Amino acid sequence: MEWISLLWSEIKKEHRNTFHSNLVYFSLLIWPAIAFITAYYSFLPFQRGADSPLARFINPDHLVLFLLTGYLGYIFFWCLVQSAWQMSFERQAGTMEMIFLSPVNRLAFVYGRSFSALAEGVWLFFTFAVLAALMVNGIQINTWWSVPLALLVLLVSAVVWGGFLTAAFLFSRDAGFLYTILDEPMLIFAGVKVPPLALPVWAKMISLCFPLTYTLNILRKLLMEKAALLEVAPQLGILSAVLLLLILLTAVILVLAEKHMKQTGNMVLY
Amino acid sequence: MLIVDQVSKVYRLKKRVGLLRSEWQDVPAVNKLSFQIEPGKIVGLLGINGAGKTTTIKMCSTLLEPSGGSISVNGLDVVKQDRQVKSLVNMIAGGERMLYWRLTGRENLVYFGHLYGLSSSLLAERIPQLLKEVGIEEAADTPVERYSKGMKQRLQIARGLINDPKYIFLDEPTLGLDVAIAKHLRKYVKELVQAKGKAVLLTSHYIQEVEELCDDIYVIDKGRLIAHGTPERLTKSLFKESTLRVTLPQISESLAEGLRELMQSHVFSWEVQEAAEEGCELIIRSEADVTSPILALISSNKLPVLKLTSEHPNLEDAIVYLAEGRSA
Ligand SMILES: Nc1ncnc2c1ncn2[C@@H]1O[C@H](COP(=O)(O)OP(=O)(O)OP(=O)(O)O)[C@@H](O)[C@H]1O
Ligand SMILES: [Mg+2]
Repeated sequence: MEWISLLWSEIKKEHRNTFHSNLVYFSLLIWPAIAFITAYYSFLPFQRGADSPLARFINPDHLVLFLLTGYLGYIFFWCLVQSAWQMSFERQAGTMEMIFLSPVNRLAFVYGRSFSALAEGVWLFFTFAVLAALMVNGIQINTWWSVPLALLVLLVSAVVWGGFLTAAFLFSRDAGFLYTILDEPMLIFAGVKVPPLALPVWAKMISLCFPLTYTLNILRKLLMEKAALLEVAPQLGILSAVLLLLILLTAVILVLAEKHMKQTGNMVLY
Repeated sequence: MLIVDQVSKVYRLKKRVGLLRSEWQDVPAVNKLSFQIEPGKIVGLLGINGAGKTTTIKMCSTLLEPSGGSISVNGLDVVKQDRQVKSLVNMIAGGERMLYWRLTGRENLVYFGHLYGLSSSLLAERIPQLLKEVGIEEAADTPVERYSKGMKQRLQIARGLINDPKYIFLDEPTLGLDVAIAKHLRKYVKELVQAKGKAVLLTSHYIQEVEELCDDIYVIDKGRLIAHGTPERLTKSLFKESTLRVTLPQISESLAEGLRELMQSHVFSWEVQEAAEEGCELIIRSEADVTSPILALISSNKLPVLKLTSEHPNLEDAIVYLAEGRSA
């Protein structure tokens, strides 16, 4: 119960803090939609026939759906990069210290924050993506629950990712640096617009570092390739391992950083 | 009971030397400090800038770990049992930070209340009451960015009381407030302590505030305790003498004779200075109050008193004196 009210007040705080002007809707819908459309049209001039290089990795007819799922996943993850970035403002505003003054469970706080940022940040583009997916009519699912499962996978991995970033940004002086790494590289290496299989080996190695890669892989298998639960089980296993590792890292960073803060009076770890 | 026992704090800082090399530098902030606070008491922590007041307050409120010694709150150790301690204490600092400016006053309190795991029904009861007590109920649903400094500070105080703490640490709570608001806040703190039995640790640069509120004062300098006592005792023990200044048209022979006679029965010293305006100033220094025999002597000499001032030493003089004595 307390957990729910904490979550709810976190959502309200987030809403007040970020949704103060209609301009926000620009970043919520227009910007991701434009990014998605640009990606689609940048493929169009190239060869897309059955014998094209693209066809070796994805069915060219499913290009729209491929990009749509890619961008949906990307928006979920990117939204959390931004929310985590906001954390450095809380440090400057001194509200961070007040949060650490309270006995709130640190992990619960970090995940509550991620979840609420997500709830606020993605619903518009999510609606857009669902409508667009229905219109292009290429969804291939095995059973009805493939859809909720896919969404659950996306949601959980995004929240875990967000928690990790929040902890990381919280204690870093150089949040801008992480911000840069996570923008364009995530778009390319995580397979948002290019299938990771099409990447050279060195790039595949990099793509393994982005949790979004695993999530998108499962998402597409479930929604575009008619995969049954058993078929995605290995991928789900790998994703779970990755997420567990992230949760562990988050917990460790939080403990270390609070300890560091108590010793030096400074929240900045690195 | 809050017990601070032989507590030290050394900040370890990484200092850049050269391009890539850095070395550790130790900055001592608090040195073997001990004091106690009982419920229902206000304890003042005084010292010049950088004396270690904020550091001490943060250690008591679990935001900093002592490098040596121990602090316990109702028998709980602030390091080992910090989560339990956090529910018992709260800290209020002066200034306008530490609030969400885009949220309203009420929303701020709800948010911080939930961080303490308080239920919504409890908060629905407590928040309006707190807002009323600190006097910002009318602005409860206005975003904080539209608050004045004084209103932000009041909200800050309400925030610091949201978990109904037994121990309240106030770090310059009236910084930059006008006289009326500062007075209201002082009155409120007094009430909290008297009516609800809270324990308060207060730092302030306004000596008057400390003199008015505190039952017990600890003076620190460079992190070390240099004096301890009630406000009156502290000033008395440092400055035994008070000064009486009387401006007269002249000091007559008979007056000087009278003073010499008076010194047989009273203990004081006197000197004469040229006054700035006209006449001269008679300066009397004494431990006991000798105002009435002196005035009686003057009137029996039929001399008009042009000006009369009496100076008692105050705490401010005491602090400056102590700090200067240390560095000298
Ligand atoms: N985070 C920190 N890292 C390193 N040194 C610090 C840190 N915070 C404070 N200090 C040092 O510790 C000493 C005590 O500082 P503190 O803030 O406790 O003083 P203060 O008594 O509160 O002063 P003021 O009256 O100015 O608020 C100072 O020498 C200060 O430079
Ligand atoms: Mg201070």
